[in-house]
Amino acid sequence: MGSTTLVLVIVIAAAVSFDFTNGFHDTANAMATSIATGALKPIVAVLISAALNFLGAFISISVATTIAKGIVPSSATAGLDGLFVVEAALIGAITWNLITWYFTIPSSSSHALIGGLIGAAIASVGSGAVSVHGIVQKVVAPGILAIFVCGIAAFLATTAAYLLIRRLGQEEARAGYRYGQIGSASLVSLAHGTNDAQKTMGVIALALISTGHLSAVHFTVPVWVKLLCATAMALGTATGGWRIINTMGNRITTVESPQGFSAESSSAATILASSYYGYPLSTTQVVSGGVMGAGLGKRGGVVHWSVVGQMVVAWVITLPSAALVGAAAWNISDLFGTNSSVGAIVIAALAAVVAFGLWTLSKRNRITAQDLDRTSITPEIEAERAAAASPAIA
Amino acid sequence: MFVLATAIVDWDAMWKIFVVVLIAGTGTVVAFGFLLLGLKAANRLGPKETRGEGPRAGGYALAAVCGVLCVGVVVVGIYAMAKKPSSTPAKPKAKAALVIPAGPHKFGGF
Repeated sequence: MGSTTLVLVIVIAAAVSFDFTNGFHDTANAMATSIATGALKPIVAVLISAALNFLGAFISISVATTIAKGIVPSSATAGLDGLFVVEAALIGAITWNLITWYFTIPSSSSHALIGGLIGAAIASVGSGAVSVHGIVQKVVAPGILAIFVCGIAAFLATTAAYLLIRRLGQEEARAGYRYGQIGSASLVSLAHGTNDAQKTMGVIALALISTGHLSAVHFTVPVWVKLLCATAMALGTATGGWRIINTMGNRITTVESPQGFSAESSSAATILASSYYGYPLSTTQVVSGGVMGAGLGKRGGVVHWSVVGQMVVAWVITLPSAALVGAAAWNISDLFGTNSSVGAIVIAALAAVVAFGLWTLSKRNRITAQDLDRTSITPEIEAERAAAASPAIA
Repeated sequence: MFVLATAIVDWDAMWKIFVVVLIAGTGTVVAFGFLLLGLKAANRLGPKETRGEGPRAGGYALAAVCGVLCVGVVVVGIYAMAKKPSSTPAKPKAKAALVIPAGPHKFGGF
């Protein structure tokens, strides 16, 4: 096996690993509120989400095409150097995903990937590789706007839902909206699979184009790449990501089923509309904005701003932090020379050690599916909890 | 400040997104709420009450209309996923977030 082929295999393995971390990191986006309100058992929720993420990966290839052909000119991605940058970028993204997972903070996997690419590219060719205007326009501004667009919609939806509940009755509303939540959360899962699994497909396709295994002119994503990415995303999603689900579902605000339905419906609408109009927004930030809006939309609802503050700090530092790790990874691989595969093996091994270390540390304060199961909580207990959290429900 | 924001944000797309989100996101929640109200009026939800055929039929009709609206939004959502505008190959201009010139290091990122 030649150097290029070996590095290509390592890059594909890194891309699949990123897809896996993306899966368990982002399960919360779709299912956190459904789990928090007891609409679904945690295990059932993540299995539904995993299946829909898998299906979503096959719906279209427009995102993969954007990554593989629409962002980087193919003439600029040829050769082993390109593979080193892609690998360093993926390692930056994986590491940041794992760090934020360890600290139970929902952060954008896409921003981590972009940050990793920025860092690795700057390390490779210098600061001329980056257009600050482009980053602000395509990453920072949409991130801020996502929170407000979805937050306002979720606020209005929650307010309307609680107005209707006055005529409907508390118990009927709770039971009914739980069914609605399952539908809206499923749509978010499907949309997530369509967007995020394809990002990894795009990265792998980019690597295959750069080594001449795939044509940039007659572009198509090979079936084995689709299957690999869809499976990695589904397996990652099925793993749970309970730490982040706990933050998104329980720590931002106390979510009731009408709020959960409002947050997820607004999130699904925001993700799909923004994606359709060519203005892709971070799923994590959209859903976080939705949960905050839903928290504020209920009379007497409480949003825990200290938790939100931690999340905002994480969002702000995601890009530079992933960039730093990506740049460090590229520099380490560069120590072994650009024509050797040793550097690629070394940084992959280092990333594996970091991942194992964080996984071991996370066992000290484990959060399991059983900890998050709310399906056995009766409406009476839920009403008592809601009354304790806020004086007025509707 | 406004000029800066105009240069950075595509407000035209943002307004379209916001309107669609309000209609689809908020509208679905309202429609679903009326669906539940319709089911309650039709005695399919909550404690059973003595009702005439008229209110029951009205409840079923309301629930059916709202159910169709909710399912319609989901179908449109899936259609939007499948029919995303396809991308065109990028040109190495300054507008891209990352543009790496070909040279000794032959790679570019996002």
